[in-house]
Amino acid sequence: MSSKTPKTDAAAGPIVLQIFRGEDASGHEQRFEVPAVEGMVVLDAVHYVQANFANDLACRWNCKAAKCGSCGAEINGRPRLMCKTRVDEFADQEIHVGPMRTFPLIKDLVTDVSWNYEVNKEIPGFTPAANEPVPYRMLPEDTERVYEYRKCIECFLCQDVCHVLRNHDDKSAYYGPRYMVRIAALEMHPLDTGRRTDLLHGKAGVGMCNITKCCQEVCPEHIKITDNAIIPLKERTATDVYDPVVRIARKLRPARAAQPSPASAGGPQGATPPQRFAVKDVVRLKTRGRRFARVGKVLPDGRLEVWVLHMNGKVQHWDGPKVVRASDVTNNYGPLDEVGIGGKLVEQYITEDHAAEHHG
Amino acid sequence: MLVIGAGGAGMRAAIEASAAGARVAVVCKSLLGKAHTVMAEGGIAAALGNVDPDDNWQVHFQDTMRGGQLINNWRMAELHARESPERVYELETYGAIFDRTPDGRILQRAFGAHTYRRLCHVGDRTGLEMIRSLQDRIVHLGIEVHMEVTLTRLLKDGDRVIGAFGYNRVDGRFVAFKAKAVVMATGGWGRIYKVTSNSWEGTGDGVGMGFDAGAEVLDPEMVQFHPTGMVWPPGVRGILVTEAVRGEGGYLTNSEGHRFMLEVDPKKKELSSRDVVARAIYKEVQAGRGTEHGGANLDVRHLGAEKIKKKLPSMYEQFLKLADVDITTQPMEIAPTIHYAMGGLRVEAETGATTIAGLYAAGEAAAGLHGANRLGGNSLSDLLVFGRRAGAAASAYVREVGLGKIDERQVAEEQQILLLPLSPDGTENTYLLQQQLQQAMQDGAGLAREEKSLKTCLDRILELRQRSARIHAPGSRKYNPGWHTARDLRFMLTIAEAIVRAAIERRESRGAHWRLDYLEKDPALGRVNFIAYSDGGQVKLKTRPVPEMPPELAKLFADTASAPSASPPPAANPPKPQQVRT
Repeated sequence: MSSKTPKTDAAAGPIVLQIFRGEDASGHEQRFEVPAVEGMVVLDAVHYVQANFANDLACRWNCKAAKCGSCGAEINGRPRLMCKTRVDEFADQEIHVGPMRTFPLIKDLVTDVSWNYEVNKEIPGFTPAANEPVPYRMLPEDTERVYEYRKCIECFLCQDVCHVLRNHDDKSAYYGPRYMVRIAALEMHPLDTGRRTDLLHGKAGVGMCNITKCCQEVCPEHIKITDNAIIPLKERTATDVYDPVVRIARKLRPARAAQPSPASAGGPQGATPPQRFAVKDVVRLKTRGRRFARVGKVLPDGRLEVWVLHMNGKVQHWDGPKVVRASDVTNNYGPLDEVGIGGKLVEQYITEDHAAEHHG
Repeated sequence: MLVIGAGGAGMRAAIEASAAGARVAVVCKSLLGKAHTVMAEGGIAAALGNVDPDDNWQVHFQDTMRGGQLINNWRMAELHARESPERVYELETYGAIFDRTPDGRILQRAFGAHTYRRLCHVGDRTGLEMIRSLQDRIVHLGIEVHMEVTLTRLLKDGDRVIGAFGYNRVDGRFVAFKAKAVVMATGGWGRIYKVTSNSWEGTGDGVGMGFDAGAEVLDPEMVQFHPTGMVWPPGVRGILVTEAVRGEGGYLTNSEGHRFMLEVDPKKKELSSRDVVARAIYKEVQAGRGTEHGGANLDVRHLGAEKIKKKLPSMYEQFLKLADVDITTQPMEIAPTIHYAMGGLRVEAETGATTIAGLYAAGEAAAGLHGANRLGGNSLSDLLVFGRRAGAAASAYVREVGLGKIDERQVAEEQQILLLPLSPDGTENTYLLQQQLQQAMQDGAGLAREEKSLKTCLDRILELRQRSARIHAPGSRKYNPGWHTARDLRFMLTIAEAIVRAAIERRESRGAHWRLDYLEKDPALGRVNFIAYSDGGQVKLKTRPVPEMPPELAKLFADTASAPSASPPPAANPPKPQQVRT
């Protein structure tokens, strides 16, 4: 045998597993010895026990390749996927395998996770604009930010470790990290027009999270749940609740007329077609921070004079004019005036809102 | 109406039927969203022509038929090629997001035996994206879903299917569903083999139920070996390594560092069809040029770490975690693994109707589209195209008929079968019998087959069937996997017998079916499909002629009709080197 798997020491004797057995609080750990096999994962060991010692040992699993998220358990106290946890990681220690404690126990390693599915039903789904032409056009840079959330395999380990759900057993106040990720995926979808900030602020309870980041530590898909889903949603909720204009600007969809026709056959493959701009279009800059800007003038050479939206806390203003090339701009959300709000009005409105908040 | 199975096909069927106004219940053995569709990595084949504008449905149709060695149902292949682009676009309206071209359209990648870059994908987690999008759609349409329920018997009223019976996995209680129509979308039977990329669910129970109810099972002998499964360490043996690795430019070498696919298929190289690549790897190993653990090396190091991590993130993670292999600096060791059942319930192309009234089938549980070998990416599109069609047809059917009457005798009979393993008289361990069946199939009806090994395998299946009557499953009915497996095993034994009996009769090599004692194709057998059917519970075989293509489609294959390995049309198809060269 080669030195490919140096961690393994198959000759070291059997692996000792302590597996939780039982259907209620009276359950307890049962000890099993399993012969070590190179590269074995905890799920293999549990299967060995199931086949040879305890045919009725209950555990969930499907793909055995960390893609389905069925085999979550608490292994030596830490929520993990059994299919992805190597036994050689524990050296000579006994391996304790128990069910996820946040959910009601059914039997052995199986818990009742149906609450999660109920929560999911309360989240308004993907809502494209009614007149959105199919097939969809979405730019790679707009879709890539959603991928992280969509990697979620729904193993519910994050729900298991979340102290709001676990210690306080308060499942009525917070949907939990999994559903923050789900809401983030919908909110950041380039073509979604739905609005979920009231839900976040209310029943979904984004405010309950106090950013201990336990969930992102246990995520087998390495989703930065707190950093990239929960915190942005907290921010979004804050601005949307206190600042409707930003919300409207965000929800404006690209102007359809400015889109190149999908049947631009004959054109060079893979070339980005030029975007068209008009005065008052809300666009996004490619520079750091990807700020919103408003087109003030289209210069004869195709460059744009823009006013950039600056946000300092809740104080916001349009700064400019600044000249940029059309290629420095990613999206065109269409004219701001379409919703009846001009540049000046925006400034005034925000200032008033800000003042009102201070006085109120 | 009732949909059994909540993978891509079942969910798409339910969505269609629900939209048509039918009241639908979906039943699945696992939790929602865990079905095997999730394992699909590479992509979904649809001739959008976004990357290669010359692509169109005719080319896709030809690729599918040629890949299937022309024993496919041509009409299914036609519908599939025509409709899959629309199904992909539709999936995006459910919220799915595929990888994009720089100008914002769906990006497509190359895949084995597809003439053009055709696979719409999301990195290497396309199946997850698809299942999550369909799942969300189901949830928001308010469709009734029964999770962790296993159905084991179709209930019939006369000749018509009127419901199904089974048990709830959690508490072990029996359940009966009364339905005007049933859509079978239960997937395949890869679990019958030892080295498999399939989960525990792939036990062929849907097809087994259909068989028991009198439906015809088409092409059971056609079982696909995916060329690239993990080999080492033993615990991960069989886990899939996506074809996208080769689609993105990975290549195969033997222990001497030689890239053997250059000779086997000089044109398509590593992206030849799956049966060809799997056999090539097998032959390298047989010739003593295998890797340490009996496989070949799959190498992507030349792509660079950044591209690997972006385009193949889950492969990177999978090898790093499970095998201590960093694929950006080391080759992957791979060998063929059981992947897919081309065979399944025989259905009508347009509707997915089986040979029994009230029973429909779609996805891997149905057969006909893929013939003797499925092309990568054609299964996800199969799920959507024919899931939708079956859902539409079944929902139209339920408007025409009334509810049937449940026959208590059938229910009592099935209850008895289910309860048998719980009686203390049995002596056999269900898991060990299952393992023995898997070993027997691996040895006797695997990648390379011959009469002698198939007959030995058949004997062992029949012996295991006898012993399976004496299974003892200890414990209660509450979430008892040993008890569940006992019933699954009966289906597995039935399907295994059908596979082996048909494999014995197909005395030729065609597609995934490789006979060492009949290395050539037999044109006479190229005109028939084998059908397994139940004769009083016994597995019987018969043949049916392969449906004949209308002239306007047949002429696309004019060059291959008489000489199947002749060179293909100008569309740059590779020669289909299905003839074994030993």
